[in-house]
Amino acid sequence: MAPKKSSIPKTVADFIVLPLTLPALPGLPESCADAKHYLYIKPHEPSHATARDEQSLFISNVPFDANEDNIRALFTEQLGGLRVANVEFDSSVPAQASSKRWKDVKNNEDGDKRGKKRKRDEEVVAEGVVEDDESRLPNTWPSELRRGGSCAIVVFVDKSSAHGAMKAVKKAAKESKEVRWKGGDGLGGERYKKHHALRYPSKEALQSSINAYLTQFNRAETARNRLRKKQRSVPDAEGFVTVTRGGRAGPARIEDAERKKTELEERRKKNGAKDDFYRFQTREKRKDAENELRRAFEKDRRRVLDLRARRGRLRPEV
Amino acid sequence: MSAHATKRRKLRHSSKVQLSDVDSHGETHNHNGRATTSNGAAHDTGHHDGDSLLDDEYRSTDGSDSEAEEELGKDIPYPMTKTDTPKTPVDASHRTKKPSATAVEDGVYTAEVYKSNMFKLQLDELLEQVKLKYGKKEAPAENAMRTLKALIEQLPSRTALSIPEAKKTLKSEGVTIPFPEPQPPQDAKYQLQYERPSNINASGSYPLKTTTRSEDGFSIDLVVTMPRGLFQEKDYLNHRYFYKRAFYLACIAAGIKASTLHAFNISFDNLGGNQLQPILVVRPSQRGGADDFSSSNCRIHVLLALPENAFAMKKLLPTSNCIRPNAADDEGGTRQLPSTPFYNSSIQSDASITSYLQVLHSASTRCDAYKDACILGRIWLKQRGFGSHRSKGGFGNFEWAAVTALLLLPNQGYGTSTLSPGYSSYQMFKATLQFLASHNLSRLAYKFQAQDISLPKDDTTPVFFDGPRNLNILYEMTSWSYARLQFEAKTTTEALTESRFDQFESTFILKVDSPKVHYDSTVSIPLSSLVPDAGAEYSTRLYEQIGKIYLTLLRALTDRVKNISFTIPTEGEWPIADTARSISKRRCILVNMITNPAAAHRTVDHGPSAESKKEAASFRQFWGEKAELRRFKDGSILESVVWATKDASAPVIEQIVSFILGKHLGVDVASTARFSTDSFSHFIPSGRIQGQSGVTPFTQLMSCLATLEQDIRNLEGLPLQIRHISAADAQLRYTSTGCPSMTDPSQIPASIVVQFEGSARWPDDLCAIQRTKIAFLLKMSELLSGSKEIYTTRVGLENTSQPSQNQAFLDVTIAHGFSFRLRIHHDREATLLERQLKDKSLNGQSRETAALALGVYKRDYLRITAHTRAIQTLCTRFPSLSPAIRLTKRWFSSHFLSSHFSTELIELMVARTFLQPYPWPVPSCATVGFLRTLAWISRWDWRNAALIVDFSSYIADVVPEMVGTGSQVLKTEDIGKIQTRFEAWRQIDPAMNRLVIFAATNLDTEGSTWTDNAKPPKVVAARMTALAKAAMASIRQEDERLLSIVNNGPKVDDDLDKFSTANLFTPTVHDFDIVFSISSKYSKSGRKVSEQNFKNLQIQGPADTQSKGYEPFQPFVEELQAIYGDSILWFWDPEACNMVAGLWNPAITAQRPWKVKAGWSSVPLSTGQGKQSDNVDKAVKIQLNKGSICNDILRLGGDMIDRIEMWT
Repeated sequence: MAPKKSSIPKTVADFIVLPLTLPALPGLPESCADAKHYLYIKPHEPSHATARDEQSLFISNVPFDANEDNIRALFTEQLGGLRVANVEFDSSVPAQASSKRWKDVKNNEDGDKRGKKRKRDEEVVAEGVVEDDESRLPNTWPSELRRGGSCAIVVFVDKSSAHGAMKAVKKAAKESKEVRWKGGDGLGGERYKKHHALRYPSKEALQSSINAYLTQFNRAETARNRLRKKQRSVPDAEGFVTVTRGGRAGPARIEDAERKKTELEERRKKNGAKDDFYRFQTREKRKDAENELRRAFEKDRRRVLDLRARRGRLRPEV
Repeated sequence: MSAHATKRRKLRHSSKVQLSDVDSHGETHNHNGRATTSNGAAHDTGHHDGDSLLDDEYRSTDGSDSEAEEELGKDIPYPMTKTDTPKTPVDASHRTKKPSATAVEDGVYTAEVYKSNMFKLQLDELLEQVKLKYGKKEAPAENAMRTLKALIEQLPSRTALSIPEAKKTLKSEGVTIPFPEPQPPQDAKYQLQYERPSNINASGSYPLKTTTRSEDGFSIDLVVTMPRGLFQEKDYLNHRYFYKRAFYLACIAAGIKASTLHAFNISFDNLGGNQLQPILVVRPSQRGGADDFSSSNCRIHVLLALPENAFAMKKLLPTSNCIRPNAADDEGGTRQLPSTPFYNSSIQSDASITSYLQVLHSASTRCDAYKDACILGRIWLKQRGFGSHRSKGGFGNFEWAAVTALLLLPNQGYGTSTLSPGYSSYQMFKATLQFLASHNLSRLAYKFQAQDISLPKDDTTPVFFDGPRNLNILYEMTSWSYARLQFEAKTTTEALTESRFDQFESTFILKVDSPKVHYDSTVSIPLSSLVPDAGAEYSTRLYEQIGKIYLTLLRALTDRVKNISFTIPTEGEWPIADTARSISKRRCILVNMITNPAAAHRTVDHGPSAESKKEAASFRQFWGEKAELRRFKDGSILESVVWATKDASAPVIEQIVSFILGKHLGVDVASTARFSTDSFSHFIPSGRIQGQSGVTPFTQLMSCLATLEQDIRNLEGLPLQIRHISAADAQLRYTSTGCPSMTDPSQIPASIVVQFEGSARWPDDLCAIQRTKIAFLLKMSELLSGSKEIYTTRVGLENTSQPSQNQAFLDVTIAHGFSFRLRIHHDREATLLERQLKDKSLNGQSRETAALALGVYKRDYLRITAHTRAIQTLCTRFPSLSPAIRLTKRWFSSHFLSSHFSTELIELMVARTFLQPYPWPVPSCATVGFLRTLAWISRWDWRNAALIVDFSSYIADVVPEMVGTGSQVLKTEDIGKIQTRFEAWRQIDPAMNRLVIFAATNLDTEGSTWTDNAKPPKVVAARMTALAKAAMASIRQEDERLLSIVNNGPKVDDDLDKFSTANLFTPTVHDFDIVFSISSKYSKSGRKVSEQNFKNLQIQGPADTQSKGYEPFQPFVEELQAIYGDSILWFWDPEACNMVAGLWNPAITAQRPWKVKAGWSSVPLSTGQGKQSDNVDKAVKIQLNKGSICNDILRLGGDMIDRIEMWT
């Protein structure tokens, strides 16, 4: 380890620090001309082990323009020439569409999508459908970007490739070999021009995606209704089962009923004994009003004191 | 005497008892002071109580016992003669009041009398702050005053001298007699003489205890009463009195100067700028010693008083003449000669000094709140730049106190007295203001106990005639200064009737005399052209000319202006050895105008009909060649004046002013006059109001929208009927900085929202609703482009990562015209989202998304449409609101702040300036609206105060079915609720990470619609305040420069227009950490430059609907924000799009321990702390990798970025 202060370490925790040389660009201020990007790489070891783990590497702090292609190129061309099967990123810009889910469904999903819901063809989400290629709206961006300092899992074709890649990374880091980062393609003005064009998809494409969506939605809705029905028959805290009519607006009806109930109570209250019938009532009322005044005054006084504490003494502006 | 005194005391006592019911607070804090008095009264007939004790001492030293003085001595508890004991009864009685427990108890009931509790509490504190303490600090000044008194009393009498002799004698003593103009004749028969004064006494506000502390110190008036023997019966004629007075003053000056024992700095000044009444100003010598009262920050004015009834009252009525030509003293001539009210009143005011002291003092004993009311009046006047000095309007503290005191007394013929002694100080203050606001004393004189005196009102001076003292209190005022006083009084009265918002600050705290912020237009006229022949009566001539300008402008501008006032150079003090300084020719006056925006830009003025010969002739005479006879559409034939309206020509007001000044005051005046108006409006396109409304640049767009709306409603074949089509865009509420353009392809289409009638066929699922909306849009697109040739339509996508939010819009482009962006509003969404929020079976993240989506839904479909309608209405009501908002937005964007402020929030801030304009009237041009908004922002403590705007006062009657859950009219309770909600926010989020600025309206009481999710973040809000403060400081500097030009004339290289308004709009890039500029191909400002060459191509070529709304800058910066999250704050100017600036988050630029998911690009560093191998991990720290981020940005921006700069 170099004793010099603020030198770049080769490892941190169980990660290898791999500096990437960034492309030289015109217009870069001199102070940043030889700036490097730092990848933190280690074998993938998640807390819930899966079969793919041994053939994967975990990379932290990926560049914002990382994509499957340039990560793959990085390993095949500069780090041992090993073959990457695919790359999973933990973030994307723009973000991926996400559906609302129920609590228990989410738990099931974590563990490799097994469990009850697997029995049906598709997962049931709280609203809409899990979109597939047909029902998804046309993409409006030419490519995805990453959030700053996000992570990726690189899955290699087999275990040994992953090991080999890790070795190559270690070697490169140890020997301070220059590893170049290629960067993403199609950035800059071009990207936004494309985006502008993609924002307006053809009518046909839109229409067919909507049709597909609505078909899938009907299927999903049937599944959801089944689930809701089941929920309705679950007894509540006091052991009662709410008897409801089936139908799409079930929960709303309950809300309506509750509202009506409070309305009714209010009306009953109004029709009951008037609150100025007894003398003590008027007396209490008066007392309350007086207290209210007093409280308001106290509050105002505090506010003025606060004011003074904040902006000093009250004086006319000069 | 004792009987008399007791009676008065009893009276006072009983009135106090009566008061205590109403104003129990006053009772409490006067308690200490009163104790001695009532005890004394209980003892015996009152010989030993505080007042009379002084009284006795006073007389014993003075030795004089004239009736008037005895009266005076009784009433004034001021220990003139106490020289030795510092612990005088005055000190005792003036202990500072402390808020006691009882004050709180009683305070509960004061809200009624004092507007509100808050108001009263602030008032109390203010009074406590500004009142003099009459303690240690003031003691040296009091000592000096006693010394002076002793000194003057010992001055030897002088034998009578003729005028040349007198001049010579005093010249040898180093004093030039401050004779008023015209200079006395050398051969005058009368002689000048000095004798011991008959009385010396303190007067004015100091002994009355109504003095306030101020930055330039306070002043004590020492009144020296000249002995009656010096004057002859006819001395009131032809300045004779004033010559004798000047000599007397010079003798005192010489005496003080010659005194070897005492050292004072003395100079002459004119009392209230009236050259007839020179006074002596005594300042500390700064040399230390017993007489040095520098520590008091005080000056002593030695005034001269004439004994009462020295001259016959009748002769000094405002209607008489006292200046005879050729010194013809014969009585017969009086009738024909014009009256000399100013001269007469000047004499009479000298004669009534002591008498007024008595009046004021008796008012203060009769009425507890009187003194406080006077102090409030003082503060109010001072903050508005009024003063006793003629150049400041001639309405100062004395005039205020006298008017209040006289209004407290019953006046026959006017019913009961205007003010009641039972009033609280605030009520008395307000009632006095109301009196001033509602009485036009320039037109109709107010007579106090002088019903039998007829005062012909041909003169322009306002008249408040005090019969018993035979004086028009307002004799030093002019009609224009009274008009201004009345204007300010009206504004304040209006403010005080506003019950919902606390107007304390606007009434007493704010300084309201900055010309830049206060006036819409200013004309400067150099004195050299205004009063070219500086004769003897220079200042008289100046005031005459100003009066002429006033009347001329008033007639010429009619209802175009609300108020015209003048800033006039002041002549200061001059050394006693010199003659009074003449006003430098290089100075100038300012004519300040507050315009009426609705009428100011009218191009045709209608005069009288041609048939009414007399009026028509006078009209022709007034307007000269400009007047023309015209036949109008309704068939009438009228004299009229027409002004040019071309874009390039000067504003109509400027044309009128320069023409009419040239016609009536000479070409010289017109050619040297400099007009400045709306000096910031050129920063926005069509910033100057043209014609009668400020929304002209938008009318074309609005009429396009109306057509489109009609066409959409007429579409056949839509599955559902349309319920509403509402505008939801800044362009459609007249507030976009740039004017809507037909040719600019990068213009984002104007948003509109369509709501269909309710139907059960909508799916009951948010995501499915969004898809159904797209289907609707596709259908509309098909129908609309089929219905008319001119429409080109296409459906676009948005929010692709939020499937439950709106996902698509329909862009409708009108051939060769504007484009609109249409979204569908479905009200079921709100219910569904709320249900999801309550649904406990959903996971946390989903509910968060629902909450977010609900916020967006409410904002986009409910709030924006309601807000748009409200602002639309306001903009048509206030012509200058639209340009003011646009200018303010321009300011925000030029400082790169817009990216953090929602446009609606800025609109609310400006709307606030218009809806709660106090202490100013409603702004009438963009500049003033903008500057007042800035002034407010610079004061706004957003950490502790919410922004509350109430549209209702102007809108309730126009748009009765306002959408939104907010209550229609904001009541005091509603404001309380908003306040509570604001406080709740601060409690939930004290660090202000989520909500920094709280802005509520009557349409949206939630207050977080425009500012939730740190929009702006705290640091940006603080920057806004700092920038506004800096801007106001530079405005203030400019004001000071302007005033110094008025007072001293311009410096050699100084120019009236030198002030660079652009300074306010220049960003300071060096405050940022990283700045990169966008290449001109991609920036709006760059494109604008290149477009200018090919404008014809733009118009002729086919409208490129594909690229409509193409603006690469916006998605670029949005991606920057998405990639860097909260590690970098980005700033840009959305209107120029030429630069992006970034600020590192200070939390991450420092070294931090290593972390797998830091969330930002990092560089690892070994700190060398842990050399042992087991400690390696802790030794590695990470830091923001600025270099790689720089590279990243360049990669992302590619060809869009020109240059990048980073400061470390």
